[in-house]
Amino acid sequence: MSSTIASRKRRNEQIAFWLFRLLSFGVVAILFYILYFLVSNGIKAISWEFITQMPEDGMTKGGIYPAIIGTLYLVAGSMIFAFPIGVASAIYINEYTKDGVLKKIIKQMTNNLAGIPSIIFGLFGMALFVNQLKFGDSILAGSLTLGLLALPVVIRTTEEALKAVPDTFRQASLGLGASKWQTTSKVVIPIAFPNIITGLILSIGRVSGETAPILFTVAAYFLPKLPQSIFDQVMALPYHLYVITTSGTNVAESRPMAYGTALVLIVIVLIANLLANALRKYFGKKVKMN
Amino acid sequence: MSHLETELHLLKEGLIEMTRLVKIQLFKGRDALLNFDRDLAREIIVNENRINALELKIDRDCENIFALCNPVAVDLRFVLAALKINANLERIGDNAEGIARYVMEVDRPFDEKIIKGYCVEEMCNTATSMLDNTLEALLQEDTKLARQVFLKDDRLDEINRDCTKTTLRLLKENPDNALHYLSIMSIIRKLERVGDQSKNIAEEIIFYIEAKVLKHTEEK
Amino acid sequence: MNKLESIDLNLYYSDFHALKNVSMAVKANTVAALIGPSGCGKSTYLRTFNRMNDLIDNVKIDGGVLLDGKDIYDKAVVTDELRKQVGMVFQKPNPFPKSIYENVAYGLRVNGINNKKILDESVEKSLQQSALWDEVKDKLKKSAFELSGGQQQRLCIARALAIEPTVILMDEPASALDPISTSKIEELIYELKKKYTIVIVTHNMQQAGRVSDYTAFFYMGSLIEYGETKEIFTNPKNQQTQNYITGRFG
Repeated sequence: MSSTIASRKRRNEQIAFWLFRLLSFGVVAILFYILYFLVSNGIKAISWEFITQMPEDGMTKGGIYPAIIGTLYLVAGSMIFAFPIGVASAIYINEYTKDGVLKKIIKQMTNNLAGIPSIIFGLFGMALFVNQLKFGDSILAGSLTLGLLALPVVIRTTEEALKAVPDTFRQASLGLGASKWQTTSKVVIPIAFPNIITGLILSIGRVSGETAPILFTVAAYFLPKLPQSIFDQVMALPYHLYVITTSGTNVAESRPMAYGTALVLIVIVLIANLLANALRKYFGKKVKMN
Repeated sequence: MSHLETELHLLKEGLIEMTRLVKIQLFKGRDALLNFDRDLAREIIVNENRINALELKIDRDCENIFALCNPVAVDLRFVLAALKINANLERIGDNAEGIARYVMEVDRPFDEKIIKGYCVEEMCNTATSMLDNTLEALLQEDTKLARQVFLKDDRLDEINRDCTKTTLRLLKENPDNALHYLSIMSIIRKLERVGDQSKNIAEEIIFYIEAKVLKHTEEK
Repeated sequence: MNKLESIDLNLYYSDFHALKNVSMAVKANTVAALIGPSGCGKSTYLRTFNRMNDLIDNVKIDGGVLLDGKDIYDKAVVTDELRKQVGMVFQKPNPFPKSIYENVAYGLRVNGINNKKILDESVEKSLQQSALWDEVKDKLKKSAFELSGGQQQRLCIARALAIEPTVILMDEPASALDPISTSKIEELIYELKKKYTIVIVTHNMQQAGRVSDYTAFFYMGSLIEYGETKEIFTNPKNQQTQNYITGRFG
């Protein structure tokens, strides 16, 4: 009697185990297939010239250099904007506001901000930065728009990082007569730093792949030169990819270029993620808890 | 020295102080008896209060150490032993006082013959030297010294056994001194008790140092 | 005069009445232990002495808490200044992610002292008082996390001593430590009372017995019994106290 129960238990255990194993392997398999697909199609396009030359012949030949540079500018610009504001807001929410209506409202708003589709950000950016503030289609307008998009991510990850710092550290510092700001800057932020950095870099990954917010604010269809100031337009990788696969002068001929562009974009995002891990490990070691 | 060590050290000092006081009482008891010194006897009776007070203090110290310091192993044995040594010392003190009271009660000095006949002096000396041994054993944490007590006790038992015979013999010789015979007999009995109590103390010291229980065994 | 005193102290977390009319006094240079079952209010009570409860939202306090006869909940009192006089050590060792030296120097630095000579002296003195100096004097620049749990806790005590408080509050300072480290901390407390007044919360009754001169038993937010530790442990006046310390609770 009991042995049949035991054997049934074992069988169910086996089924559950294999089911979960199969599903998670499936996820990994899909990811690898995407990578394989991109690499096998795109590797032919990759060459030194591809990443250092201007596009030529209606984007069927040449490289994607201005798009890479444009993306880097936009990422950097958006982070300069989003990082300080995001981190400061998170510190305010987590360290300074007491539990109450105000805190709830701020948190709800940042959550809502994160849920807004990116095309809406693009539209808003165009209305505010491009038209209202008269920045025109420019790196500045694009960076600000992307920054807005990244803001909730930065706030959320920073907040989580701060929340993960045990309260006894704050109490120990305050107990020694330190002020709130001394406590936050000398104790809390250094401990939370690895996780804050992780959040920052993950949002870089997110921002670098966005197309919609830059569509109306900065991205140039074809601009075979580098920008001179923050009021210039630039090309950007995701938009370039979109353009040459859908509305280029010769879609079929630029197909290999499209795969190459996609591969470069993926690699940039992957590098950002690996960097995030490396930095977290590096800073994590410095503030290792036991 | 750690907190517990300090407390144990103080307890031991209290115990040594107690032993010294009791020893002095016993010495004075002997002198009062042999020299028929009533003033000395009175002094013993008065000093008994000090011993009683010290007994209570040591008891309280032990209780506090148990309640507050949670002694274990050798420390635990020491406090347990201290409790029992303390009780035995107090009883020895009582016996010394008892001897003093007999000295106060009799109307005239004991005959030399009686003192000799009962070996009173030897009895007194043996009993005090046993107590002395326990004190030294405690001070030096030396179980060899403690074991000497067991041998000496045999002599006390012997004198005590002869006591009845001696009384009968003396009664035949001179029945007028019957009251003295009975007093001395009681004193002998008390000294025999002192021997037993010293033996108990020695057993406790050995228990504390060697963790061996010698009570109710022949092997010593 | 009493070093610390509370008079009819009541504390509420929102609607929860956490401390009920607690009145007790702690003499200078003694160790007072607060014991009682979880949630009895002993930790909350401890934290009224350095106003650590102020950090929690929706706390309301009435009654008086006196340090050297002065009300620390008076409007004129600056909490930073108060906390320099009343140091605190926590349940889990929580050194900052800094070097051993910087951990001890932290309290001085945040109070504006950056003179190297003063810091050096204070760090050495504090580490000596917390009986850690000999173990760490050659590695002051190393991270505090390289120390063992017991050493970390003594480091936290040194950190609290560096700002020269007169009172030290300890919230179960040895509950996360092994027996050897625990007895080191206990010996340390016994030493420290020569210079400081110590209030310690402990779940370990034997610890209360070993380290404290006075013991307070809390139950459901009320101070049930307060007296000499010897008395509480040998002859408690209240039946609830007796049940708790003998482990026959409930």
